[in-house]
Amino acid sequence: MKLQIEAGGELHEIELERGETAGQYRVSVDGVSSTDVEAYLLRPGVLSLHTGGKAYRCVLEESAEGAVIHLAGKRHPYRVDDPRSLKSRRSRHAGTDGPKSVTASMPGRVVRVLAKVGDLVEAHQGIVVIEAMKMQNELKSPKAGKVVQVRAEPGDTVVAGDVLAVIE
Amino acid sequence: MFRKILIANRGEIALRVMRGCRELGISTVAVYSDADRAALHVLEADEAYRLGPAPATESYLRGDLILEVAQRSGAQAIHPGYGFLSENASFAEACEQAGVKFIGPTAAAMRALGSKTRARQAADAAGMPRTPGSVTGLASLDEAYAVAAEIGYPVMLKAAAGGGGKGMRAVFSKKELGTAFTSAASEAERAFGSGEVYLEKLIERPRHIEIQILADEHGNCVSLGERECSVQRRHQKVIEEAPSAFVDEELRRRMGEAAVRLAKSAGYTNAGTVEFLVDEDHNFYFLEMNTRLQVEHPVTELVTGHDLVHLQIRIAQGEVLPFKQEEIRLRGHAMECRVYAEDPDNGFFPSPGKITRLLQPGGPGIREDSGIYEGWVVPLDYDPMLSKLIAYAPTRDAAIARLLRALDEYVIGGIRSNLGLFRRILHDADFQAARIDTGYLDRLLAGNGEAAESEDADSETVATIAAAVFESMRPANGNGRNAAANHSEDSAWKRTARREGLRA
Repeated sequence: MKLQIEAGGELHEIELERGETAGQYRVSVDGVSSTDVEAYLLRPGVLSLHTGGKAYRCVLEESAEGAVIHLAGKRHPYRVDDPRSLKSRRSRHAGTDGPKSVTASMPGRVVRVLAKVGDLVEAHQGIVVIEAMKMQNELKSPKAGKVVQVRAEPGDTVVAGDVLAVIE
Repeated sequence: MFRKILIANRGEIALRVMRGCRELGISTVAVYSDADRAALHVLEADEAYRLGPAPATESYLRGDLILEVAQRSGAQAIHPGYGFLSENASFAEACEQAGVKFIGPTAAAMRALGSKTRARQAADAAGMPRTPGSVTGLASLDEAYAVAAEIGYPVMLKAAAGGGGKGMRAVFSKKELGTAFTSAASEAERAFGSGEVYLEKLIERPRHIEIQILADEHGNCVSLGERECSVQRRHQKVIEEAPSAFVDEELRRRMGEAAVRLAKSAGYTNAGTVEFLVDEDHNFYFLEMNTRLQVEHPVTELVTGHDLVHLQIRIAQGEVLPFKQEEIRLRGHAMECRVYAEDPDNGFFPSPGKITRLLQPGGPGIREDSGIYEGWVVPLDYDPMLSKLIAYAPTRDAAIARLLRALDEYVIGGIRSNLGLFRRILHDADFQAARIDTGYLDRLLAGNGEAAESEDADSETVATIAAAVFESMRPANGNGRNAAANHSEDSAWKRTARREGLRA
């Protein structure tokens, strides 16, 4: 099985070859190294991984922000570049062309909407203010352009990832 | 003797108080808002009653509803925890009138020490040092100019009703005072309903050191040593420890005696904390008194061996303090990290949401007072504190090593937390050498901290391999990981079921 994984700002090609017994893998990273790995899933998200004479506890975290491996007290965010997934391909080629959305970075309540449909906005101009745990967070426009949609009203409850406005 | 106590709070402190009650054979009554039906304090109580909607003003601050629940459930006493109604004199008074014991000081003592200006007057009466400045609210900007000229710049403007850094301004010269005065007063008005502000001399690079006191209702009062809480961000404590590396036996005795004097002069009873600023020359200045149990009380419990919640309850029952000042001994070192749902990599923005993964530390010398569990959705309506991670060891160095070990064991997934921040502080050479003051953390955060935690290539590779192994375990479907991530719990269960051969 071949996987393209983006981690630590780099794209890696990982090849996993299952061994004869369950949990055994032969792993090559970017075609150069080839390592024997033994892995056991203790419970969902908690993996005991043995490789190179060392034992690791790898914990998988998944949220709206993406996936992260927790290893020895550190977070390692990663993203799978799945050639079958249209969504990941699209986000890989992210630029400033086309419509861009202002999305909620955290769950909260909308306290203010600073732009309306038809407004011309600058890049990084505040569009929506959301509040959670007594802290306010201003969500900014990802690009300069025209506000074509506003999907938030003061008082709305939003979750991370919700599209609150679209800038074209 | 109390048979039943109502805990008028939520989160970790509600659980901590319930544990204390249970250990004394007292049954517990929880109250909750609509946002907290699934909270741990509701699950663990012997009885639980709904107060109202999520906003605190409609639930945890509704003293009338809480008293009604106490009377309906037959609770003889109310423990207010910290925050919410814990320092509300009117509520303490209402409890008294309703015949329900408020576990804390009397309304009168709270009033005498709760306002910062009145507390400064009490400090003068008790003959304890305080920062130079006014002891009453400033009536006008002219008065502010006059006081500032007398004590000399830099000065601090503070809200009399203040707390948490609100209504507080450092002023370095006369020309800044005008705007600072107006903005501090209006901020205080908005936050506390009182625009009263006063001026005091700004102490350069102070340490925040506080004394825990306990007073019974028979005139006995003792101090239980100090806690140092100099590691702060925006006037909010981040790490607390006991004892302070800066305080020697002589200073401890002097500060302890001053704190006891203040408490006695106000007729104070139950647990309380007298906060001081301490300058580089070991001069201490009274800051304020907190008339409740504090968040950081566990570090005092660990080094004194006394359970403060048990003692609060026993004092409220009218018992005499079971020990004298000279019987209090400090042993070892304790240190506490306040674990918050906030993102240190993104301006410390709050990060409420679902805890999808939780691995909690344990082992020797580790205590965790928490109110969270895997699968719980941290509500966005309250304070973002998730848990307090506390280490106890024979020495300060050993306590730091224990905390670092425990932090490596700790995983909170699904939401962001400040666990990484503690690792950074505990590895810092200045912190390790106890070269800290209230500006320490801001300086550390302003520095180029990214270099402090360098990525090592090996663990990066292992993490990538682990990611690949996890991905290979996902059920194959056309949508790649995006679909799987949205139903992570679901697919995780299916994955396990498949592995176990339970069903297809």
